[in-house]
Amino acid sequence: MIEFAKLAVSEALRNGAQYADARLVRLVRQDLVLRNGALDGADAPEEFGCGVRVLVDGCWGFQAGPLWADKGSAEQNARALGRRAPGVAKALASARTKKVELAPEPPHTGSWSTPVERDPFAVPLAEKLELLRACDAALQGRSETVVREASFSARAEEQWYACSDGAEQHQKLVRVGAGLTSTAAANGTVERRSYPASFGGNYKSGGYEHVLAWDLAAQGPRVRDEAVELCSAPLCPSGPRDLILMGSQLALQIHESVGHPSELDRVFGHELDLAGSSFATADKLGSFRYGSEIVNLEADSTLAGGLDTRGWDDDGVASGKWRIVDAGVLKGYLTSREWAARIGEPRSRGASRAEGFANFPIVRITNLSLLPGTWELDALVADTQDGVLCDTVKMWSIDQRRLNFQFTTEIGWEIKNGVKGRMLRRPTYQGRTPEFWASCDAICNAAHFDVWGVPNCGKGNPMQVAEMSHGAAPARFRGVTFL
Amino acid sequence: MPLLERTDSLSAARGIIAKSKATETEVVIDSSLDRYVRYADCGPTQCADRERTEVRIRVRNKSPHGYQEAAAACGSLEPAAWKAALERAQELALVSPPNPALIPLGGAVLVPISLRDRATIDHTFEAKARWIKLALDACGKHALFPAGLAQTTAISRVVSNSCGREVHGYQTRAAFSLTATGKSGEGWAEGVARTVGALKAEAIVQRAVDKAVRAQDPEPIDPGEYAVVLEPAAVASLVLFMAYEGFGAREVDEQSSFLCGRIGEPVFPAALSIHDDFKHPAWVSLPFDGEGSPRTPVVLVENGVPRRVVTDRNYAAKQGGETTGHALPQPSAHGPMPQNLVVLPGASSVDELVAGVERGLLVTQLHYVNLIDPRELVLTGMTRNGTFRIENGVVGRAVRNLRFTDSLVRALGTLTGASKEQAVCGALFDGECVVPALRLSGLRFTSTAEF
Repeated sequence: MIEFAKLAVSEALRNGAQYADARLVRLVRQDLVLRNGALDGADAPEEFGCGVRVLVDGCWGFQAGPLWADKGSAEQNARALGRRAPGVAKALASARTKKVELAPEPPHTGSWSTPVERDPFAVPLAEKLELLRACDAALQGRSETVVREASFSARAEEQWYACSDGAEQHQKLVRVGAGLTSTAAANGTVERRSYPASFGGNYKSGGYEHVLAWDLAAQGPRVRDEAVELCSAPLCPSGPRDLILMGSQLALQIHESVGHPSELDRVFGHELDLAGSSFATADKLGSFRYGSEIVNLEADSTLAGGLDTRGWDDDGVASGKWRIVDAGVLKGYLTSREWAARIGEPRSRGASRAEGFANFPIVRITNLSLLPGTWELDALVADTQDGVLCDTVKMWSIDQRRLNFQFTTEIGWEIKNGVKGRMLRRPTYQGRTPEFWASCDAICNAAHFDVWGVPNCGKGNPMQVAEMSHGAAPARFRGVTFL
Repeated sequence: MPLLERTDSLSAARGIIAKSKATETEVVIDSSLDRYVRYADCGPTQCADRERTEVRIRVRNKSPHGYQEAAAACGSLEPAAWKAALERAQELALVSPPNPALIPLGGAVLVPISLRDRATIDHTFEAKARWIKLALDACGKHALFPAGLAQTTAISRVVSNSCGREVHGYQTRAAFSLTATGKSGEGWAEGVARTVGALKAEAIVQRAVDKAVRAQDPEPIDPGEYAVVLEPAAVASLVLFMAYEGFGAREVDEQSSFLCGRIGEPVFPAALSIHDDFKHPAWVSLPFDGEGSPRTPVVLVENGVPRRVVTDRNYAAKQGGETTGHALPQPSAHGPMPQNLVVLPGASSVDELVAGVERGLLVTQLHYVNLIDPRELVLTGMTRNGTFRIENGVVGRAVRNLRFTDSLVRALGTLTGASKEQAVCGALFDGECVVPALRLSGLRFTSTAEF
């Protein structure tokens, strides 16, 4: 396949491009959803195509189309895409006011694959359906339950990349996700509980071993009962309180209030037309206090189990690890080859990615984790006098500069004088990003650390979906405003 | 590869169905052409000239306990690709548990033939570059930072099944937007239309720039409840949640809809009427849904009274009626859903709506609106791209952005007027609708931004 990518690149160069790269991408998915005992979705989509990106006199062009497995057709299509891409750049050149320059990157060549113990596509369908049926059975038994849902998803992304700089890469990324959800209706309200996370469960890179490790069915009765109990639980009282966030909710907090603001294209206004900009402007790099001294946030595209763990990004840049926030201070950004030079970095951090073959690569959040601290969770609860422990994403909203946020979790528990007490419905907390992270005074230790997948991060216009993970252990934030 | 012609689409679908061994088979083929350019201060920043084909195959085998159903898709009409997809679907269906709730696929129907807009399909990158230069020049004159999108899209879709259903349609879309950002405030405007000829790029640029100029130096404002005039884009961000979360039969059936116990009741002021209308002249859409059923216009809210929800074939059968034609392509994680929401206009101009506010806010757009509680449609989100005081019926200074948190059911209960002008607007999460500006006597803002 790499030959077709190279053909597209050479055809683009022949037609006036000074730079060209081509990505052949095959995306394969298998999704199974059991809803109230019936198979609500059994889907096995696949796409295969090629995207060719070029620079002509400092202006981008991009051409994409499907490829056919037949060698003759694939060759013909790859050539055609390469031939046409420079035409897009030339047509747009009249509106270009500044030339694109790319940070240098050695031409990496090689192959990389997600480590997989058990290929999720090779696991017999009957076995996967049996797991979902067991989940469904575990969710049954309460008349208040209106929806029972158990889901499994496997995704494989295989990519062949060639670049006019000389890079030739092949990688195969495998990701799995699974989870269960119970929705109950009673007392005029409807409430949901999910495990291990909401919106389809947790996702990791790797194989079916992750699905088995989540032990989904065992959690069914608890999930079912909590959803029912939430319908009669008191609403979370408003006012300032200490907040303990469990891992999956903390992952969202990291994603929205650290991940997106540190995308350098956003920092420089190139996402203003839809997603917004960032308060974490380049003049703050190296000095801005983002959080308390115990807050260390590390970007890592080599993280075990991370959804964005890979060999190279879609600029062909090798994966790596770096600090976005170090001891509470803003220390880095997410960059592509186009953006690295803007802040004087000699090389891209390798955070450029595109969805499938038909999208233009943009700066994306890679795996980004809050490094663990020293606390045991029990000790953290015991140390909290007046607080709420919140778990599982329900709702999120954050302003266009990533400062003012408001999040709601599926469930909360009141903490009074060091004791976890009554269940609270719909806890909604609101804050401002730097003050919130500055109020973080305790983070649990590595034994409580897990990696939480975001399989559906939307960015761009037209919107592209990308995957990444956030590692987190529960943490405490002082004096947070509850609505 | 050009857009797939009607006859070629139908022929390809028939060929796939003929090879299926399942009891029933449905094939949906989408062929699309998409040309877009994003731009900013340096001109074009991202672009794509892309063509895609998606072939979705849904198969069903009849068993004594119901249909065993599964689906698969591929990105090509090459026989090797669709044959592999057909095999994957058949393999999945064999092990799928029978679903007694499924009814047979629908039979032959008649839908109007839709025509392509050649000017939209052929709209070039050179022409998009001219739009972009308009935006860059206008922003340059006022020291504003530009960012926006120019896009034209065309699709050809066929839905065909082994029970005799064959429907096909073309649809085009053109969009141009500008966010103009100054030192302390932003302005925004967007045009969305089915045909590129209906877009007025100069007017869009002028609107965004004017708004940005007025939005500078916003003054602080306290949170609280304010009378508001919501411009169409802000209205769209709110009412689309009615479509996502409440106007579908599944949400009512599963008791999560704000319409539970409210159908037939006077929930809103008489000035509010909401329809779903695929034939609305400002936003004509495909005349069939994801199952190939003919769409029908539906009166969702009539003079403040919720009348009904939309259905697909399965929910219609459950309720003992005909489908309204609101299925998404199957299988879908969502139930039936309005996809052509229209909030009916009022009799006032936007200026007249503003004139009726003694003390309040004019809101251009809302950002990142999301749902806290489906039963009362409690939403939160941030104002964006120009929020202004209204004092004694006149638009005054810009104010800093505010976060609202409120029940849309409650807030729309304070509706006091709608503009006679409507616009096609979308929202962050998807979908587009036709809406006027609305005036509410009370929307609750719970916090503020420092910008």
